Amino acid sequence: MNVAVTVNERRMTLDVRPNETLIEVLRERLGLRGTEEACGVGVCGSCTVLIDGRPVSSCLVLAADIDGRAVTSIEGIGTDGRLDPVQEAFLEHHAFQCGFCTAGMIMAVKGLLAEKPRATREEAKDYLGGNLCRCGTYEEVLAAVESLTKA
Amino acid sequence: MSMIGKSIRRSDGPLKVTGQAQYTVDIDLPGMLHAKVLRSPYPHARLVRIDASAAEALPGVVVLTAADLTDLDNAFGVTLKDQPIVAIDRVRYVGDPVAAVAADTIPAAEAALELIEVEYDPLPVVMDAEQAMREGSVILHDTERPRSPMFVGWPAERFRRNLNVCSGYHVEQGDVESGFAAADHVFEDVYTLPPIQHGNMEPHATVASWDARGGLSMHTSTQSPSIIRAQLAEIFGLPENRVRVMVPYVGGGYGAKVFAKIEPLVAALARKARRPVRLVLTREEEFATATRHGATVHVKTGVMNDGRIVAREIRAIYDTGAYADTGPRASKKGGYNSVGPYRIPNEHLTSYCVYTNKPPAVAFRGFGVAQVCWAGESQLDDIARRLGIDPLELRVRNLLREGDTFVTGETLHAVSTEKTARAATAALDWGSARPAPRRDVARGRGMACCIKSTSTPSNSSASVRLNADGSAHLLTSSCEIGQGSMSVLAQIVAESLSMPVERVTVSFPDTDVTPFDQSTLSSRTTFSVGRAATDAAHAVRQQLLELAAGQLEAAADDLEIVGGSVFVRGSKAEARTFAQLIRAHFGSPAGSLFGHSVFQTRGGLDTLTGKGKASATWFFSAAAAEVEVDLETGKVTVVRIATAADVGRAINPAQCHLQNEGSMLTALGGALFEEIAFDGGQPVNATFLDYGLPSFEDAPLAFRSILLETPSLDGPFGARGVGESVISPVPPAIANAIADALGGARVRSLPLSPERVLEAIARASAEKVTA
Repeated sequence: MNVAVTVNERRMTLDVRPNETLIEVLRERLGLRGTEEACGVGVCGSCTVLIDGRPVSSCLVLAADIDGRAVTSIEGIGTDGRLDPVQEAFLEHHAFQCGFCTAGMIMAVKGLLAEKPRATREEAKDYLGGNLCRCGTYEEVLAAVESLTKA
Repeated sequence: MSMIGKSIRRSDGPLKVTGQAQYTVDIDLPGMLHAKVLRSPYPHARLVRIDASAAEALPGVVVLTAADLTDLDNAFGVTLKDQPIVAIDRVRYVGDPVAAVAADTIPAAEAALELIEVEYDPLPVVMDAEQAMREGSVILHDTERPRSPMFVGWPAERFRRNLNVCSGYHVEQGDVESGFAAADHVFEDVYTLPPIQHGNMEPHATVASWDARGGLSMHTSTQSPSIIRAQLAEIFGLPENRVRVMVPYVGGGYGAKVFAKIEPLVAALARKARRPVRLVLTREEEFATATRHGATVHVKTGVMNDGRIVAREIRAIYDTGAYADTGPRASKKGGYNSVGPYRIPNEHLTSYCVYTNKPPAVAFRGFGVAQVCWAGESQLDDIARRLGIDPLELRVRNLLREGDTFVTGETLHAVSTEKTARAATAALDWGSARPAPRRDVARGRGMACCIKSTSTPSNSSASVRLNADGSAHLLTSSCEIGQGSMSVLAQIVAESLSMPVERVTVSFPDTDVTPFDQSTLSSRTTFSVGRAATDAAHAVRQQLLELAAGQLEAAADDLEIVGGSVFVRGSKAEARTFAQLIRAHFGSPAGSLFGHSVFQTRGGLDTLTGKGKASATWFFSAAAAEVEVDLETGKVTVVRIATAADVGRAINPAQCHLQNEGSMLTALGGALFEEIAFDGGQPVNATFLDYGLPSFEDAPLAFRSILLETPSLDGPFGARGVGESVISPVPPAIANAIADALGGARVRSLPLSPERVLEAIARASAEKVTA
């Protein structure tokens, strides 16, 4: 079935299978391998991307449901030569370790800041509750967020 | 500017925040097939018949069963070769691989799996390790399995109860019976903890291919490239120079990816398919591949009224699941570490490694110490309460000190037991007045101490190659699993060569190119690989000084190196950059300087006496926790946690703190809610829907990581390691805080679920009523 979608500001038409997920579209069809799958059930947040600016678990979204929408993955933020402020804040505050959850975490933070640019620490913890990090970088992620909400 | 002690930004940062970092799951090879594994639905059964003909008839499908492996020994295992690549005639846990399929797509592979017919004849099941040790128990392995050189337990006749006990360890000093007889009080308790999941976000993944000369190469998400190469070479009858293991960024390991796991299976499937094959495990398969050892620990401690511990007897039974993996090593390590960081005249420490029909228990952050620390440190608080002595004070009276002899007979140096204990507790205002109690909410504080060893003997090599333009490569087989090893090793080389850290690149492991490393485990990378890297860099430094001495016509002793330039002390005008020195030496900007070093730690424990040298360096740590317990629901909120770890020297302090945070959070999950549960051998919570990992909202409200720096004797710049230091004392610190909140009510099983806390409260009030 055909879906017309914008991915990282590129318009495209894709012929997808009925049970194909958004993460499969990104990784297998479009070669955008920055988004990772870790649990397959939409719980861990590693696969988080933005649809029309709002974070979703791409492992649960059917490709059929992105028709007419705009998808932003980790590859779609920042511009040539300049990192997005969230990416820069993650570097500054050492907010990653193995990095496997990091793309999803950054996209979730993008969603948080779009919705609540002055989010408190409590609001950030609540919003990011669906992004798991086994390496344990929660404090540093919150510090990165704080540097952006208090900026 | 010195690079040591600097929290510089990690070199892999820009790749990880842009999604450009490549993990094994991201690697494609031309012509690659996708693999799926057929797994046993029974916890224990004879494999009667397997018919894959319908699956094999599908176009482009290749099926692997044990029938394809009759030309080799279908078994692997780093201590005992007891694990079949695919099942031969028996399955021993739910998830045990029975067959594997390769096809052009995942859906095609899944469709093929459905067509494989398997006939099982179920066998009785044993799920409890203590039961598995008893006469008459169901037996998992009918014959004693061949041992590899990495097996470390007793000779069989010493520990064998039945064939389910695959390993044992014992060490003692003094005479515990006399000790207990002389003690004013003897405490005897049993502590348990279940298997838990590593939770590595990147699943196990391997891409394997064979070439026309019969050589095997693979990309794999592992912590042990050098050892896996050796294991594969042995399995397939190849020399090691025909087996190539390459490791990109690893999305989390924590022990799950130590030594061979899915590599033999993928290699065997690729061999049959004659095409590259990639296998990526699903999250459910992760639960069926690697877990942490559950254990039952019997602790008996004799004390005097003044708090001196005079005798300690430990019997720890480690449940290694269906296959041994590193169980013999983990249980042995738990054995001698079980006494805790205390000087006790009479000690009797025994550990067993036992098979049950659970998925294999493997290396896990904390490696055998978490289990015994949980038991010993919990009991010590009960003892403190009974004697009316402050828990910190009781410990301080008994701690090991500098120069003490450990139960293994070795002398301990750079001992910071008291410093770490006091640092963690001081951070929680230990001894200060408690906040006023609230209705239905009790508040308490607890602490725990820990001693931990590192895998000894071991072997790490490093090569430093200085390119013609003065930039450098460090070649090691260390894996970047999130701990920041690539950055820390670059800092060490930059410091050792007095050159800018941005001009040092650290390689990914590639066993064709990078020299041997024991493994990225046991908190050893900074200590062992870092030391080898320092020495390799110094070898290059020496060559640079000799070149400069010739070119500047000065004595090498009069030369200094700063920022990648060499000059005669006091005369910077005549400086030569590394590039200039190399160009002058070779006559053109070509060629390189090369330095190599092997850092070997020696030691090991005698198999009969358990004595010898257990560790090249020791880790001392402590944790303190403050909790709130909701008396109506039993829910525990961790308000504050402080951990103190002696890292020897913090090369990159920010990364040390991150390691402590990761250890603390994993420990917190295991303390409060993580548990792999089974019902009659069937796993019941093998997805992230049912098995929770700590989230932002589970983290303590405040966490403080304290680093102490008592230099180790042999580590680079005095560094030891930090990766596992605080994971073991956190759960008993939390349990001790709960007991403190509840006037002594004690939970002796992890996790400290609300149900168990309420039960403990009910038991305590019942005891008060009857007293």
